[in-house]
Amino acid sequence: MSKTYDAIVIGGGHNGLTHAAYLARAGRKVLVLERRPVLGGAAVTEEVFPGFKYSVCSYVVSLLRPEIIRELDLPRHGLEILPLDGTFTPMPNGDYLWRMSDHARTRREIYRHSPLDAEAYDEYSKAMADMARFVKPILSMVPPDPMSFDVPGFSRLFAMGRRFQRLSRTDQHNILQLMTMSAVDLLDQWFETDVLKATMSASGIIGTFLGVRSPGTAYVLLHHYMGEIDGVFRSWGFSRGGTGAISMAIAAAAQEAGVEVRTAASIERIKVKDGRTTGVVLEGGEEIDAPVVSSSVDPHRTFLKMVEPGVLEADFLSEVRRYKLRGSSGKVNLALDGLPEFTAMPGPGPHLRGAISISPSVDYMERAYDQAKYGEFSTHPYIDMVIPSLTDPSVAPPGKHILSCFVQYAPYKLREGTWDEKRDAFGDAVVNTIAQYAPNIKKLILHRQVLTPLDLEREFGLTEGNIFQGELSLEQLFFLRPVPGWARYRTPIRGLYMCGSATHPGGGIMGAPGRISALELIKDWKKGKVA
Amino acid sequence: MKADVVIIGGGHNGLVTAALLARGGLKPLVLERRDVLGGAAVTEEFHPGFRASTVAHVLGPLRASVVEDLDLKNRGLGFVEAEPRVFAPLPDGGGVALWGDAGKTAFELRKLSPPDADRYPEFHRSLSAIAAYLSRLLTLTPPDIDRPLKGPILPWLGLGMGFRGLGREDAQRLLRWGPMAVADFATEWFSTDVMRAIVCGRGIHGLFGGPWSAGTTANLLLQAASADGNGAGSTVQLVGGLGSLAGALTAAARQHGAEIRTSAAVERIAVKDGRVTGVVLAGGEEIAARAVVSGADPKRTFLDLLDPAVLDPDDVRRLRNYRQQGMASKVNLALDSLPPFRGDVSPDLLRGRIHVGPDVDDLERAFDDAKYGGLSKKPYLEATIPTLWDSTLAPAGQHVMSVYVQFTPYALREGSWETRRDEVGDAALRTLETYAPGISRRVVARQVLTPLDLERTYGLTGGHPMHGEMALDQLFLARPLLGWGRYRGPLPGLYMCGAGTHPGGGVTGGPGANAAREILADLK
Repeated sequence: MSKTYDAIVIGGGHNGLTHAAYLARAGRKVLVLERRPVLGGAAVTEEVFPGFKYSVCSYVVSLLRPEIIRELDLPRHGLEILPLDGTFTPMPNGDYLWRMSDHARTRREIYRHSPLDAEAYDEYSKAMADMARFVKPILSMVPPDPMSFDVPGFSRLFAMGRRFQRLSRTDQHNILQLMTMSAVDLLDQWFETDVLKATMSASGIIGTFLGVRSPGTAYVLLHHYMGEIDGVFRSWGFSRGGTGAISMAIAAAAQEAGVEVRTAASIERIKVKDGRTTGVVLEGGEEIDAPVVSSSVDPHRTFLKMVEPGVLEADFLSEVRRYKLRGSSGKVNLALDGLPEFTAMPGPGPHLRGAISISPSVDYMERAYDQAKYGEFSTHPYIDMVIPSLTDPSVAPPGKHILSCFVQYAPYKLREGTWDEKRDAFGDAVVNTIAQYAPNIKKLILHRQVLTPLDLEREFGLTEGNIFQGELSLEQLFFLRPVPGWARYRTPIRGLYMCGSATHPGGGIMGAPGRISALELIKDWKKGKVA
Repeated sequence: MKADVVIIGGGHNGLVTAALLARGGLKPLVLERRDVLGGAAVTEEFHPGFRASTVAHVLGPLRASVVEDLDLKNRGLGFVEAEPRVFAPLPDGGGVALWGDAGKTAFELRKLSPPDADRYPEFHRSLSAIAAYLSRLLTLTPPDIDRPLKGPILPWLGLGMGFRGLGREDAQRLLRWGPMAVADFATEWFSTDVMRAIVCGRGIHGLFGGPWSAGTTANLLLQAASADGNGAGSTVQLVGGLGSLAGALTAAARQHGAEIRTSAAVERIAVKDGRVTGVVLAGGEEIAARAVVSGADPKRTFLDLLDPAVLDPDDVRRLRNYRQQGMASKVNLALDSLPPFRGDVSPDLLRGRIHVGPDVDDLERAFDDAKYGGLSKKPYLEATIPTLWDSTLAPAGQHVMSVYVQFTPYALREGSWETRRDEVGDAALRTLETYAPGISRRVVARQVLTPLDLERTYGLTGGHPMHGEMALDQLFLARPLLGWGRYRGPLPGLYMCGAGTHPGGGVTGGPGANAAREILADLK
């Protein structure tokens, strides 16, 4: 191929596409290479069964950075977010907890469980919003390197420190706790209602191999709190046309800016000569040259599979190997002949339009984790379900519905057997668990798609099935993500950059890693550090 | 009555503060509720003729400057640096010994696992380097969060330079390890279950967390920092039990002019016009003082001894949320002969700490039970047999085995500690039987101290041996609370010197020494 590019982006997920769009808007010639036949990575919509368009992996959106929506003008490219109203948690005793977007109604509902908690909920919501506001600037920041004299990095950190000082003592205390504590310890300080704590703590474990009582989960809770739609914190939504529509909108923006996209183009290896990258080799042998390669796939895949052995130093490689991916969740997508009927609140209704959470008690959540610690999937897992077809009828045939279930825990490494043997048993455990709350579910199922962590790895290239391309644990965040000393999107190979969820600020359909890394790369171009 | 400074609690930290204040020219008065001094570092006769360090059974060890400043070496203290430092028996006999000499340890490990033997020297070196660096942090008073640049800046610059001096590899390790789960940390280094478990034991010791709980590596690093950073951990003990320390500290304090009273329980801290003016004893005696220093834990100090109405309601809420749930018990055994460890284990190997819990999953399962408010069916144990090197503790030929038992949560979901005390002793012996079959028949008497006993008898609120969880949000300038990390309480004239302040629990004298420095700076 004679054409030359300024940069090649590995992976057409939402981060790769965002990255490419920013590079092209800076006047560069960019090629995105995606292994699968469709774009989007884990933010993808696929018609797995005729008429049913699944948001196969990621299924709700909240964290997508507003500056990306604005700068790439995504609404013009077809992005439309539909609100997801509240969280409904059915309980085994036939009761339920239903939190809605309407704060006053949620308060009344919590009051039904505990008047004290209703009062605390006001304060808690305010405190969390304050925390999120404080932490948010970190999401658009390039992490400093504590190992070198990095003046701009430290001045940003110093500015953060000044802001921290100006907070009230209570807020300072809250931040310290959020950064280190377990979600349940944190919530215990505010609330007494078990089901409320359980369902709220669930945000603290999503995508981690931690339990709700594990220190560090309060931060993940906050991470999910930083979502913002149209300026409203903590609001979640669906994208019309499924989650893939987000990727398609970003792709459209990228292509408009001149990005070329090739699907079904799998990378065999990244070419390196004299310590700098010169392009990539595709499976089949085709070589494409470029002075810059940006990888949006995880570091295990990038450095251990795509870079030839011997190129990178052993110390760096052992740090990369230490980076923990550890998938802990699976996905079950059901095509339904009608709506599930929950014993706790029979009939159709607005409670089905939001998230439905199987998280009836803190012990339930913790026991689900206990099984995973010893290498089994949870027989009674935490499940977060949505029925997108109620809000967006375009994704299912008339009268039919999609039930999209995020399931935790499903450890990548099973102590006994393989995921290929256990896939159906896992799917059954999920359906049986749902059936305890919505007994009609089994009769409604037309099709069932079960994605184990192994499937997420094989199909979507997520090593070990980790949905965030690496755990969001403290030792893998900020200037330690993905490895100490290499948190600034650059790598030991000149011209090779990282731009995926394995870099700061991490996973979720956020786009921030793709954007910040692009801005860093553009800076390097301006300074003449890369060709 | 009037005193210069009243110190609440004659635990080792209270005594260190008293001795150092007296040495600095103040006239402190120590008030101890019990009739013995030492707090949790105490030697008691638990069965006629058998004495043991009933609560803490290994020194932190003591901070070197405390030993030097108070001339403790010349006060009859017999320090014993037992070797091997740790021995971990295996269920099918024999075990692994870790020695102070890393070379010797690595040599012996080769029989067990050549890869672990290869890794050990680097583990020892890296841990020692990081511990040496962190130990400098332990002696500093945490900075004032509102005015971090106030006060001496040199030690902080030194700390910054020291960080760079660690070299890139160790510095990165320090940053990465702090928040990690100790199980991950152990797995990075070692391949055998038992080596991983020994490392994990140190991470979870005194913590309401299992090996897979994040932040447990920080606990291990802090312990290493207060000792010599040896890969085997530290095992320093005292002839006559840890109570000897109280004797030596008392002598030092009195020599410098401190007064010490036992059986003097403080009922409340007197406050007038927003200022602490003294204390009131049970029985009504009032003692006025310029300053009151509490060696008691934060919950006792601020929620029991102080009228919470004088505190900011927000601070009261933060104090109530201070995590201080005890998780451990002590079982002290009087034995008619040595425990018969499987595989003809030589008694020479039992002189240090005996780590019982041969794999990480066992330790984690022990924690699982505690999470749901139950006691571990197979607890993690750390035992010592001080009579192997100290004949003063038991009748000739007989032995004392001091067994630390984790997990036994203070807040039981079912029943109460009053009725379930024996279950702890039974669980400990059942577990020991696996390694030393027949040990139960050698038990002449046993004393069980549950978290409730630790609270009632020794005044540890919640039965927490460290005066509160050594978790990342309750350390350094946030110990006990953010804003109270500089040994000064929220009221003028009120100070803290116990394990609920930086650098936290363990028989080190560290908090007591740091507090004394701050109090002298204020009062002199």
